[in-house]
Amino acid sequence: MNYLGNILSYQHFPIYAIMVLFLGSFLIAVFGENRIARNILALLSVTAALGFVAALIKPVLMDGEIISYWMGAREPAGGYAIGIALEVDALSLFFALLVSLAVFVSGVYSIQYMNRDHNEKEYYTLYLLLCGGVMGMVLSGDLFNMFIMVEILTFAAVALTAFRNTARGAVEAAFKYLVVGCMGSTCILAGTAMLYAQTHTLNLAQLAQLVPGDVNTATKVAFALLFVGFGTKAFIVPFHPLAADAHGAAPASISVIISGVLTKSGIYGIIRITYFLFQSMGLGTMQFLLVFIGSLSMFVCVTMALAQHDFKRLLAFHSISQIGYVLTAVGLCTALGVSAGLYHAINHTLFKGLLFLAAGAVLHETGTTDLNKLGGLAKKMPHTTVLFLIGAFSISGLPPFNGFASKWLIYQASYQKAVESGNIGFLLVTVIALVTSVLTLASFVKVSHSVFFGQLPPELENVREVSWGMRLAMGIFALLCLVTGLFPGLVTGYLTEPAATAVFNVSQYIEAMGFDGSAAVQPEAGSFQYVGAWDPVSWLLVLCIALLAVTIAAAAGKYGNFSRNRAARREDKYQLFYGGEAQELSQLGGDDLFWGFKHNWRGYFNYMHRMHSGIVNDYALWAVIDLALVMLFSLIVL
Amino acid sequence: MFKRLIEESTEKSPWLFHINAGSCNGCDIELVSILTPRYDAERLGFKLAGSPRHADIVVVTGPVTKQSLPRVLRTIAQVPEPRCIVTMGSCPQSGNVFRGSYSIAGPLSKYVPVDVDVAGCAPKPEAIIDGLALAAKMLREKRGQKK
Amino acid sequence: MTVVIDALMYLGYVLIFPGFLFCFLAGMLLCGIDRKLVAKMQKRVGPPVLQPFYDFFKLCGKETIVPDAAEGICFMFAPLLGLAALVVIQLFIPVFGFTAISGMADIVVILYLLLIPAVSIILGGAASGSPYAGVGLSREMVTIISCELPLVLVLLAVAKTVGDAMGTGLCFSLRGIAEYQAANGSLICRISMLPAAAAMLLIIPGETGNHPFDAAEAETEICEGLLAEYSGAPLAVFKLSHAVKMLTLTSLFAALFLGGLGTGMVVLDALLLFVICAVLTALTISFVHAVTARLKIEQIFKYYWTVVTLLAAVSLVLAWYGL
Repeated sequence: MNYLGNILSYQHFPIYAIMVLFLGSFLIAVFGENRIARNILALLSVTAALGFVAALIKPVLMDGEIISYWMGAREPAGGYAIGIALEVDALSLFFALLVSLAVFVSGVYSIQYMNRDHNEKEYYTLYLLLCGGVMGMVLSGDLFNMFIMVEILTFAAVALTAFRNTARGAVEAAFKYLVVGCMGSTCILAGTAMLYAQTHTLNLAQLAQLVPGDVNTATKVAFALLFVGFGTKAFIVPFHPLAADAHGAAPASISVIISGVLTKSGIYGIIRITYFLFQSMGLGTMQFLLVFIGSLSMFVCVTMALAQHDFKRLLAFHSISQIGYVLTAVGLCTALGVSAGLYHAINHTLFKGLLFLAAGAVLHETGTTDLNKLGGLAKKMPHTTVLFLIGAFSISGLPPFNGFASKWLIYQASYQKAVESGNIGFLLVTVIALVTSVLTLASFVKVSHSVFFGQLPPELENVREVSWGMRLAMGIFALLCLVTGLFPGLVTGYLTEPAATAVFNVSQYIEAMGFDGSAAVQPEAGSFQYVGAWDPVSWLLVLCIALLAVTIAAAAGKYGNFSRNRAARREDKYQLFYGGEAQELSQLGGDDLFWGFKHNWRGYFNYMHRMHSGIVNDYALWAVIDLALVMLFSLIVL
Repeated sequence: MFKRLIEESTEKSPWLFHINAGSCNGCDIELVSILTPRYDAERLGFKLAGSPRHADIVVVTGPVTKQSLPRVLRTIAQVPEPRCIVTMGSCPQSGNVFRGSYSIAGPLSKYVPVDVDVAGCAPKPEAIIDGLALAAKMLREKRGQKK
Repeated sequence: MTVVIDALMYLGYVLIFPGFLFCFLAGMLLCGIDRKLVAKMQKRVGPPVLQPFYDFFKLCGKETIVPDAAEGICFMFAPLLGLAALVVIQLFIPVFGFTAISGMADIVVILYLLLIPAVSIILGGAASGSPYAGVGLSREMVTIISCELPLVLVLLAVAKTVGDAMGTGLCFSLRGIAEYQAANGSLICRISMLPAAAAMLLIIPGETGNHPFDAAEAETEICEGLLAEYSGAPLAVFKLSHAVKMLTLTSLFAALFLGGLGTGMVVLDALLLFVICAVLTALTISFVHAVTARLKIEQIFKYYWTVVTLLAAVSLVLAWYGL
């Protein structure tokens, strides 16, 4: 009984959460021939992972405990951590929650989404391997283990990118991802090795204790290597073209994981190394690095997205753009900034997941994601349209959805930082963030016009609404988008503020593992003081009253009094006005919809077009150049 | 009260949509001239609408060629009720100098009920405004009959 | 009991002042004044000032045609959503000392709330399926992008100026801005705010989509763009929304730069606000309309991102150094 109680203690839950995913993966590989067994196993493991992580909310996020777990009870000997450790603080758990949630919803979606593909057994094996890898990475307390998990997730992601290898470009995308992803992994390994050589430990807590006291050339190089390595995982500039290729080729349920979870693991890695290992976030230079790359990703990727004409590639670029918001906010190094960044990370997982699932639904039913070939699907897929619009409004930051709540905090944080530090550069960040937001809206207006509204091409006449399971998965995300948007106080209070507090509480992180954290340099956090006022619930209430008033007035005036007679609607009167001509199909193309904008920026767009050559050698070169620049930066300035 | 208000307003805010059914452009220019400072039909609420969906009065100029006939009819059908159809110039009424040509399908009244004819080649702006004002009155009557 | 009275009071705010009734009357009057003034400036007699009311009621009495290609629900519902969202914004904008609902939204929120009517007209147009609406949508969106950058800079400049004076660093609250101006005089009297006010004046016609920035609704080339397929009551609601948007933006200008002029009596303040809005409309919409020809969409973008942005940026830099 005592033994049972012992193994059910929440101390073990982190490793269980990782294990169930890997276990599910292996079991499916063995027993996955049977369709029902496979689906049950997959759903069971993702549900169990979600359950284990959710059970940790109480002790870790609410009570502020840090769970330290030595595998096989191999505790440190002689002051050095030898064993493999898991360390779960609020930050880890925060990311683990995101992971398990996205994995769960994407799992539910996969069941019906993948039913037309072959090799589902391999799909679920790799899928759970990918999820387990990310989960392991965010819960790990050990730098080398993080690397192992990064390798697992990278290879699983590469294989899944090429999963539909009959589709055009899938293998090519996977190859690109493989090349640059491996360069990133190698960077992480090299950085880890250099740190190990310096400090003789791989434990994160002990590294956090030892590294800051001894910053020399080797550790600076290690920092650059780790930063670039995790940067490739987050697909931040200059690694964004990979994301576009990978998302374009991978199944939608995998895109959800890559965008909502895998990129977050990169962000998690960057937060860990900058705030914990190097503890130098008080440094203006480090802030500059993060904020600069963040803002660059934000703007470059949103403009790249405007030029796309493939639904999923467009979403992929937006994904990186939103990651840019997260990175920028985290790089501000204020409590408000980190909290806002993490808030945006949640929201990004939710709305981007929703959008990818909607794209997947469109692909599932129509067989294409080319914006120029779609149109008018709102009449055929009304539920998907509504769900997509919720996602689109969320990502473009329209109130009352969640994107606004977090972007609003990011603007506040960056502007407050600008005012407090007197640095006009941060002001530019606020402006870039606001402009990026409206460009995001533009590009989703484009998608909604090209895919869901406009005219229905005749070859899509027989399209039907997707099955309930896929709508359910989208519905979960949509509901969460609305909830996190309507109750920002709850999200910040229960999720992001504890996580942000953990980020600024390095000594506690070190001491939880039994090391001396008293010497830890802690960045000045500031307080969670919100400058602006935004009360979404009351606003929505007022809007509803207003809307009700208009609707009643409209109904009283016989507003909706129009012909519903199907036969009559074929008459000339109900045809579109074409300057007198008979109605014909003339859907506006998606790629160059905002030419008024692009015309003025043609130099920039042409340059970008030339740069994104699609040749893997170029992208590998970018990675090398990026590494060289970051290394130079950290050697000279840090 | 609203009913009266709407009827009143219907007369005071007639929006025009102009269809050129093969006109020589003379009437078209004259139609625009009624919006100039000298004649200013906007004081009566007239406005040129960009789309037939917004229009109350359809102004047809030109002898209604065979090419343009289906387009004219389609566009007129797309104007919401109550609507008035005004022919402007002699062409849509009789064919004018084009009468008897192989390419003429007019007069327009063969195909749709025309409410007001403004004759002339081209009509004087005063005549046009007079005709349009008459059409506006008829709009009100039509609106009254409908309800 | 107090709950009921509060509820009734809020209902009154939403329905009467500064909600629907005020928006309807004032917005339509502004629109009428604008049309009359443009006519006068062109030496015409012009329509009666009440012309927008006639147009509105006439459209209400017309038949509503929903094209077969359109997505009916979105097509019919979009105008209502746009109007409701605009009226709600009006509730947040202080009428000098009086704010119907404060503490719920501040200027950056207003910036985003202003997108909702624009998005609703875009979605409505897109739902109609017309290719003219497609072109209109593209232009409307580019116009929004154009106005956004200078508007952001203007708002940040105001936030910084007021925040500096109040010792909080930055102040996003509209009420805070109103109170600051009540105590220290209107912001327009400050040197640093002059370029911002000028920029804001130039933004107003762009945001409302008036001449010469009405490429999105160019009736002579793309058949009124997004509105091409709208007829009857939904069109009436869109026309009303356009009128209310003029009111909203001019009163936003009044709240940002001309605060502190109020008399303390709500009725007089409302009248004063209307007069100010009318003057601003005459200045920014009618006058500009009468003397310019329509710009192409790329010219609109270029204009806003160079001239107007520069003005706003100058203001922001001046505010930054505390002038």
